Amino acid sequence: MTNEATDLLGNALSADERELVDIYTRLKALSGRDDLPPVATANAKQAMVLMWNACNDLALICEEPGCD
Amino acid sequence: MPVTDSPFWNPKTETLPREQLQALQLVKLQHLVRRAWDTSPFHRRLYEKASVTPDQIKTFDDIHRLPFMTREDWMECQAQKPLFGDMITRPESEAIRYHLTSGTSGRQPLRVLDGRKDWSWIADMWCYGFWGFGIRPTDKVFFAFSYGSFIGFWGAHYACEKMGTLTLASGNMSTEQRVKQIVEMGVTVVCATPTYALRMGQTAEKMGIDLKKDGKVRRIIVSGEPAGSIPAVKQMIEDMWGGKCGDTAGMTEIGTIMIFECDHQPGGPHIIEDHFIEEVLDPDSGEPMAYGERGERVVTSFGRGFMPLIRYKTKDLVCKVPYTTCDCGRTGDIYEGGILGRVDDMKLVRGTNVYPRAVEAVVREHSEIEEFQIILSRRDDVQDEITVKVELKPDQADQWTRLEGQLQKDLAEAHEGLRFNVELAAQDELPRFELKAKRLQDLRPQY
Repeated sequence: MTNEATDLLGNALSADERELVDIYTRLKALSGRDDLPPVATANAKQAMVLMWNACNDLALICEEPGCD
Repeated sequence: MPVTDSPFWNPKTETLPREQLQALQLVKLQHLVRRAWDTSPFHRRLYEKASVTPDQIKTFDDIHRLPFMTREDWMECQAQKPLFGDMITRPESEAIRYHLTSGTSGRQPLRVLDGRKDWSWIADMWCYGFWGFGIRPTDKVFFAFSYGSFIGFWGAHYACEKMGTLTLASGNMSTEQRVKQIVEMGVTVVCATPTYALRMGQTAEKMGIDLKKDGKVRRIIVSGEPAGSIPAVKQMIEDMWGGKCGDTAGMTEIGTIMIFECDHQPGGPHIIEDHFIEEVLDPDSGEPMAYGERGERVVTSFGRGFMPLIRYKTKDLVCKVPYTTCDCGRTGDIYEGGILGRVDDMKLVRGTNVYPRAVEAVVREHSEIEEFQIILSRRDDVQDEITVKVELKPDQADQWTRLEGQLQKDLAEAHEGLRFNVELAAQDELPRFELKAKRLQDLRPQY
């Protein structure tokens, strides 16, 4: 699970929010790998940006994930 | 509570108390300015010239330290370093979308790029609007849109896929084919410019189709023209379609919408304030306008990563009122009457200010009129003339004598007594539009 303790407003993350950030973080790591087949990388990137949306909208993260 | 029962796409931030909303905006602004400084030579240059650094953005009011960004700056930057200038923050090779501004103003279009994340965010902003106006995964959404290089409803299409609606594209269809499919498929939501929503309604009448009886449309979402918030235009659209009409507004420079009408329709669209800072400023002095006063929209967008947009002067004319004007529960403020026009749309005719949107508001009060055009000319090289040409609905020709005088009177009353010429156009003489309508022709010599 994520080590992030609070959202952008300083509120403690709920269990659901921790899970969302955790999934986003793991997808971001997968997206950055260059040793996976194209099918895995491309779909991990798509999934990652969707999770970025959920986490960003919920004020959990504020970063540019940086992927092509 | 089942997810579809939520009136909000994002309950957490759409209902944040104002002080927390502003705190969130500050955190996002600090990140945005830092990233622009680090990765966009265009922005670094702009900030160095204004002697401001990211470290100086400590409070929300520090936004006023940041210089404005204008379309002219952007165009110059792209002209100096084709094709995209030096404001892009990531390599071109990482972009997945390329779009152009619509070119309504007749200038060189701007070129924009979006990355994978940007494109997903663009769709998400439309989700705020569609969900807020009552669209749900069970809906069938039809896009009367050409799917070309103009960004238009592209993001809305992807938003609907994200929400899970049945999404119908109609890029290559004629107006008749579109009307037919809307009825055949039992479409429940139609998206179009206000002008084109009217045109489809008129076409349906000519085809002998009563959209209210034969169709199932319950919502019409319009965008792209100020007319979407003119009550008389909305009423015409609702009368034709039998569904509720809601306005949205966006711009290619941000890639998506920044305001939308909620289901309560308090008289204007809410601002998506967890993703944008919308300032309303005096166009000349740059000073903030109070609630209820008209001014120029200046937008800062937190979502588009490829091309940061910070304090961008839009030239849109707006009037902000507090969120408490609406009882839907959102805490995003409201633009009363939507986008009221363009700061540079104003035409001076014999000393009187004329806004095309204001003319349209008067013309659309008369349901006998099908299409219209505004023509500015100069008589004998001296006197400016303003003429409104109107085309009546096919069965309304006998109304002309009465209408001519009434229209002249109404237009003059709405414009400090300015005399308008009103002329009758022949059937199908005036141009029809699918995207943004261009109904004003200024034929006066330009010096």
